[in-house]
Amino acid sequence: MELPEIQLEQVTVSFEDRTVLADINLTLNERRIGIIGANGAGKSTLSRLLNALVVPTYGTVRVGEMNTSKHAKQIRRDVGFVFQNPANQIIMPLVADDIAFGLKNLGLSKADRKVRVEQTLDELNIKHLADRESHTLSGGEQQMVALAAVIAMQPRTIVFDEPTTMLDLRNRLRFQREIAQLPQRAIVITHDLELLEDFDRVLVVTDGTIAFDGLPADAIAHYRQWSHV
Amino acid sequence: MIAAHNTSYLAKLPAGLKFGALLAISIGLYLIPSWQALVVLLIGSLLLLFSARVKFQQLRTALITLLLILSFVFISLGMQTNWENAWVSVLRLLTMCMFAYAVSLTTTFDAMLELFQQVASPLRYVGANPAQISLGLSLAIRFIPELKRVYLEVREAQHARGLANNPLAVAVPLVIRSLRIADDTAEALEARGYDSADKLK
Repeated sequence: MELPEIQLEQVTVSFEDRTVLADINLTLNERRIGIIGANGAGKSTLSRLLNALVVPTYGTVRVGEMNTSKHAKQIRRDVGFVFQNPANQIIMPLVADDIAFGLKNLGLSKADRKVRVEQTLDELNIKHLADRESHTLSGGEQQMVALAAVIAMQPRTIVFDEPTTMLDLRNRLRFQREIAQLPQRAIVITHDLELLEDFDRVLVVTDGTIAFDGLPADAIAHYRQWSHV
Repeated sequence: MIAAHNTSYLAKLPAGLKFGALLAISIGLYLIPSWQALVVLLIGSLLLLFSARVKFQQLRTALITLLLILSFVFISLGMQTNWENAWVSVLRLLTMCMFAYAVSLTTTFDAMLELFQQVASPLRYVGANPAQISLGLSLAIRFIPELKRVYLEVREAQHARGLANNPLAVAVPLVIRSLRIADDTAEALEARGYDSADKLK
């Protein structure tokens, strides 16, 4: 799978009078990228820039050749997003219908949707959940369904916003395995530093800027030092 | 109660045909005055349910609630009019519900929404968007249990703080959390490529 380059040029994001991200310049090419930082540092805003859920106040964000300010719809097809709380991400009352929801938005026919849903459920070993009502799923199952809904849309990049926060150890390990096996690029915002050990690159966000950018071990050491742990 | 995967012959029929037939049967039931004929139809509706491989377990809670309501209807109608009239009315309602269960439990939620969009398509002429209404319906069904869970969490937290009898102490956090869920869901809809403008075409 050819992965599109993601480029942020002089990106500043402000909400009313508050600057959340200031003058960010980044080029993301790696397959596994982690983003860490304190609460309120700007990690979530940075992640939302990547699939046009937030557009920059100044500067540009490009995914491949597309600018997020101009091609939001196309970019969201290529950059999937898994939110922190899967319960709020699952839209439809039944699991299979929920996975098909995004595919319907892509314009796939009913028959194609059915095939793609079955394929995805099979890929993630959650076929048994297909007919379950969403609200009856456990936290771990909901997170897997949220991931399935994104994978089914076949994006080339998936952004995860603190995906393991609500998971127990077993589900966390399972989710970590799934992320490791993804052919897509994974950009993971997390406080779970162990999750990033095998990653290619980790960014440390502090007060709206990139305070460190490097290999996981160095980035985690920097973050620990900054946090006085 | 949402239809689980059902592969019976009834599940293979188009949703429009099933709901159309249900409408016709429901109207027809009100034209039948004989309780004997209604008993035969009730048996027919039960046979339809069983032939469609609907599991009794799926119906248990709904049936208990239905029987309680029908008991209330039977007693109040019997006291107000006469017992034969009450018996006929209860038989009609029960038969209608059995046919309705047979239809709803063999029709996927997605198929129901599609049917709703088709039926509601004339609403476009008055500026309404059937796709948005149907999404609203599915979100309501999806989030009712979620909001119940939030309510129970808030109530438990306020109990722990000794505020269990204060409705405002429960209502305010409940509304705030509900609004946050709505925000998150709106963001998720966007992230998953939902574009309400598309559905107007």
